[in-house]
Amino acid sequence: MTQILFKNINTADLHTMKVYEAQGGYRSLKKAFAMQPEEIVAAVKTSGLRGRGGAGFPTGLKWSFLAKDVFPRYLCCNADESEPGTCKDRELLLKNPHLLIEGMILCAYACRIETGYIYLRGEFHDLSVIMEQAIADAYAKGYLGENIFGGGFNFDLHTHLGAGAYICGEESALLNSLEGERGEPRMKPPFPAVEGLYAQPTIVNNVETLCVVPYIVNEGAEKYASIGTKKSAGTKLVSVSGHVKKPANYEVVLGTPVREIIYDLAGGIRDDNKLKAFIPGGSSVPMLPADQVDVLYDYESLAAAGTMLGSGAMIVIDDSVNIVETTLRLISFYMRESCGKCTPCREGTRWLYQIVEQIMQNAGQLEHIEKMEDICDTMATNTFCPLADACVSPVVSSIKYFRADYEKYFTNVSTSLA
Amino acid sequence: MSDDEVTLTIDGKSVTVPKGTKVVDAARRVNVDIPIFCYHEKIGPLGCCRMCLVEVEKIPKLMTACTLDATADMVVKTTTDKVEKAQRGVLELTLLNHPLDCPVCDKGGECPLQDNTFKHGPPDTRMEFHRHNDTKAAPLSPVITIDRERCIACQRCTAYSERIEQDSALVMLNRGFHNAVGTFNGEPYDTRFSGNVIDICPVGALTNTDFRFKARTWDLTNTATLCAHCGCNCNITMATRLNELMRIEARPNDAVDDGWICDKARWGHHFVHSKNKISAPRENNSLRENNAAGAKTVSLPTFPDNCTTENAARKIAEAFKKIVAEHGAQSIGFIGSPYGTNEENYLYQKLFRHGFGSNNIDHKPYHDTPGLPVNHYGFEQIETSNVVLLIASDPTEELPILDLRIKKAVTTRATRLVILNDQKIALDRYSSQSAQYKVGYDAAAIDAVTANLARELGESVPVDDANATGISAQDIKSLVETVRTSMKICVVYNPSALSKAAVAGVKRLLKMIAKIPTIECGAMPAAPMTNAVGAMDMGLLPDFYPGGVAMSEQEEIKKQWGENAPTAIGLSALEMIARAKTGQLKALLVHRANPVLDFPGGSQVADALRKLDLFVAHDMLETETTKLAHLVLPSNGPGYDEGTTTNIGGRVQARKKALATTRAPDWKIISLMLNALGDETDYRKVSDVTEEIARRVPGYQGISKKSVSKTGCDRDRVVSADEPVSDTPIQATKKDGGLRLRVATLLFAHDKILDASSKLAHHFQPSTAHLNEEDAQRLGVRDGDAIVLSAASVNVEAVAKVDNRCQSGGVVVPRVSDEQGANGLIDADGGAAWVKVSKV
Repeated sequence: MTQILFKNINTADLHTMKVYEAQGGYRSLKKAFAMQPEEIVAAVKTSGLRGRGGAGFPTGLKWSFLAKDVFPRYLCCNADESEPGTCKDRELLLKNPHLLIEGMILCAYACRIETGYIYLRGEFHDLSVIMEQAIADAYAKGYLGENIFGGGFNFDLHTHLGAGAYICGEESALLNSLEGERGEPRMKPPFPAVEGLYAQPTIVNNVETLCVVPYIVNEGAEKYASIGTKKSAGTKLVSVSGHVKKPANYEVVLGTPVREIIYDLAGGIRDDNKLKAFIPGGSSVPMLPADQVDVLYDYESLAAAGTMLGSGAMIVIDDSVNIVETTLRLISFYMRESCGKCTPCREGTRWLYQIVEQIMQNAGQLEHIEKMEDICDTMATNTFCPLADACVSPVVSSIKYFRADYEKYFTNVSTSLA
Repeated sequence: MSDDEVTLTIDGKSVTVPKGTKVVDAARRVNVDIPIFCYHEKIGPLGCCRMCLVEVEKIPKLMTACTLDATADMVVKTTTDKVEKAQRGVLELTLLNHPLDCPVCDKGGECPLQDNTFKHGPPDTRMEFHRHNDTKAAPLSPVITIDRERCIACQRCTAYSERIEQDSALVMLNRGFHNAVGTFNGEPYDTRFSGNVIDICPVGALTNTDFRFKARTWDLTNTATLCAHCGCNCNITMATRLNELMRIEARPNDAVDDGWICDKARWGHHFVHSKNKISAPRENNSLRENNAAGAKTVSLPTFPDNCTTENAARKIAEAFKKIVAEHGAQSIGFIGSPYGTNEENYLYQKLFRHGFGSNNIDHKPYHDTPGLPVNHYGFEQIETSNVVLLIASDPTEELPILDLRIKKAVTTRATRLVILNDQKIALDRYSSQSAQYKVGYDAAAIDAVTANLARELGESVPVDDANATGISAQDIKSLVETVRTSMKICVVYNPSALSKAAVAGVKRLLKMIAKIPTIECGAMPAAPMTNAVGAMDMGLLPDFYPGGVAMSEQEEIKKQWGENAPTAIGLSALEMIARAKTGQLKALLVHRANPVLDFPGGSQVADALRKLDLFVAHDMLETETTKLAHLVLPSNGPGYDEGTTTNIGGRVQARKKALATTRAPDWKIISLMLNALGDETDYRKVSDVTEEIARRVPGYQGISKKSVSKTGCDRDRVVSADEPVSDTPIQATKKDGGLRLRVATLLFAHDKILDASSKLAHHFQPSTAHLNEEDAQRLGVRDGDAIVLSAASVNVEAVAKVDNRCQSGGVVVPRVSDEQGANGLIDADGGAAWVKVSKV
């Protein structure tokens, strides 16, 4: 299978400059600096690369939205990786920090940016040490700093540790946090490309997204576009977790069937239990039942199936589990991580939690399901940011596919209502 | 429709609004009421409460009308099933954990949450769990109580603190369901403008501690009136119950206050029920005996028991008339008040000019002249000016609402603020340049700006070395450059903090700026007193008739005021005090002023007043001055009185009566005195006086009871008389090491007005003297040392603060209380004040 990001991920000491360079690291810079910045933006557009953080927005398009002729501009790498189930960026940062730096230099050159920040979630303190060392080495080599390669291009790179809030993975909340403000999402418009960090044009990209850029520059946009499907170009890191035999990060070509990921790459279900459900794109996307395991793992196929590719975190659930427990666990996460800014999210997540908890104590009634659906209807798309939608996803999809699991708790009620 | 406007459709109604207008505001224009909690038109969008969801054609999901800019051809629907279901759903969530303690809630009856629930909410709740319990009453400050259960976390208050006050004192703490309004480290939220959060809180979470549980809102009688503290004249609503003042709220008027009031306006009102209130005419018998012993020539009128105010007034008028008959009109005088209404001030000047034939009329211990050589700018002009030049003014302490308006202009309108002052002020951090002259060098600094500007304009004028003022030539140059290249400039100056020469200098500077054809120039005479502009307009001046008519305009005066109208320039307030001291002034009437404390000279003023044959004080509270008066007349004052006042922006507005009293109003007392002197005008109500002002005072033609009601009306420009150019020798530091004194204004000074408002006591400050490092070192004074400031025989104790608030050679002493007596340090002639600083 084509490996782009994980090609040499397990090479010993890849995180050091010496090994990274020996593997061909930083060679894209020379090629890039011979190009016009706009050509690189065009190449990224051609490559079909889409944001790997969750929303899947076309990266090249995002870069071209930067407010014209407004400087300084900023580049922020979103290394908050806070979506439950996701641990792919962690592996890149841990084992291949220079790939990210190389990608950021390319992005900065393409977008005429002179300052970059890597926003790491607070729990990534160990990675910040590795990242800092890599940045120091890159400065020492002249890849970062003033007048890189004598071409008059300057780029400074800094790391910043967050304080461990899920919402700070949302790009505008990330910018607030980076500025030292409360980690709450900002009103859009203006979008970060127009008014982002310190109210200047800003690019916010995920770690994985930026790590792809050196490949595009080295190998050409067409080559990248030829991998995967038409609408989902390239490869995707998938963090497979849950009830599989070999939970790990896998790099898959977009368009691979989910069955292959679960049963071939991850070795199948633990204890040879039966697959019950899977959440294909991190905890904030709707879950799918086992009978949809042949869906292809790409943006468009998953959307057609009523879910999303999201951050690429595949949470696999076997039939030993009552989905209501899973749902309560997920609601509890979103309830605690709601920033509290807007009413439906702040109140709704807590109310949903209370109701599901009550159901699990066998104190629920059938109409509670209707009530939950109604609350979800008020919350979904009506909130300030997508956190409430993320909370609503498991609730709605669990009711849709696993209503029977809820009904098991309604001891006093006929379960024939269907 | 211009390019800056868009037309959209809301619920089938077409509306054209300026670009950038939010849909919620556009809807309001066509009477479509979109429910809101977090949005406030002055604070801007937040998008927190999600109450204002509407359907927009071509957008699949519902949009919040408060964050959405109106765009051309947008079609908005606010009453579809989808919208109504969402609004019902959001409201259910808003109310989910809100305690339904409406029966005991201060907000009950005027609560947006109640109203929106009534209009848009579900009739019941599906909440089956115990509602969240939280702190019911915690002090957020000594004047604000927060009920954490009621808070719906809309963030309006914290956004106000961030965007309007701009100090983020009030913030959201914690996260998610546990987020809470609070302050860093739990410190009190005690800013100058904290009370506005009570008005804007859409629920009963932020409550007025002073008003809490005192009355149901529907039992209150609300009166739309004006604040009577500083010169801003903010619009307020006084709520009374059973003739007791219960609370004060802001009454938004964009032309003045932009919807905000300061905490002094909100809580500094307890003087209306003060035990120090003068309630009846009174004679001071002990003074009478002294008078008899001193064998003075005038026999004082007597007030028998239960003498009505009306009778007392007549007797006083007759006594003054007798003195005029014996000693001439020069022997009497009147010191009026920059706190009185236009009607009171107008009638008093009429009484003394028309009734007694005297021009010995004044209202202040400093110098200023009515009118401006340029446009008189109001508050809204601050926002449209691209440069605001602030001279000797400290709006934060003197005119708080002006402070907010300047901040707004600088941060949202790209207005540049340039400051010329002798002390550091809070607004310095908003300025593009702040030039500091040495205390006492105000005139020299202003003249240097004028001279440099003149030279830029090609006039050959000698430019003095500005360095002596403490401002470098480079700084003057860059200041002049900012002024010269401005397109619209508003010059705000505080005459009460400037010398006579400096005030004249400001007017010359204005004339110089007006010569530049590319500049639109206006000014604001920003004295901190309620009606300082009105007092000058009404002719409470020895050298001007009402409307800025100078004594030299004899024909005009005779035409308007009769053949016998006095045209000799009278005595200023300070001159009257000086003449009283020498015995040349025999009788004095003081209205709503306390010269013993407020005028320079301190005990010397008291000594002078004691020498008068007849001294009448007409005031609302007992003061050091009323104690010396032979006869005291009660003045009703704010809350009880009515009339008009003119704010620093030249806007005339109506002060209305909120409390009933059996005492005669001031204007009535004065009109009775006039009648006693043969004036036959029958003033039946205060608007009769307003009408006479409109007839007789240039600039006030458009003023009427009707035109000033609600939001007021700008008076026409009062034209300025030419200022004589006077040479001002720069005064060097006194040889014996004395420091030049600058008495600064403090918003929350512990004076007689705030004495009864103990709720604000937390703002009172100890006597402090701000020194420059250089002087402190020379004097051996360190930060925190107890020091004594002395001049002549007056000593004022203070704590030293070495913070370079002024340049070396000066000392800044904020006037913290009446007790402190800072003005006593100034010479009785009002000139330069030198103080000696010594350690205790």
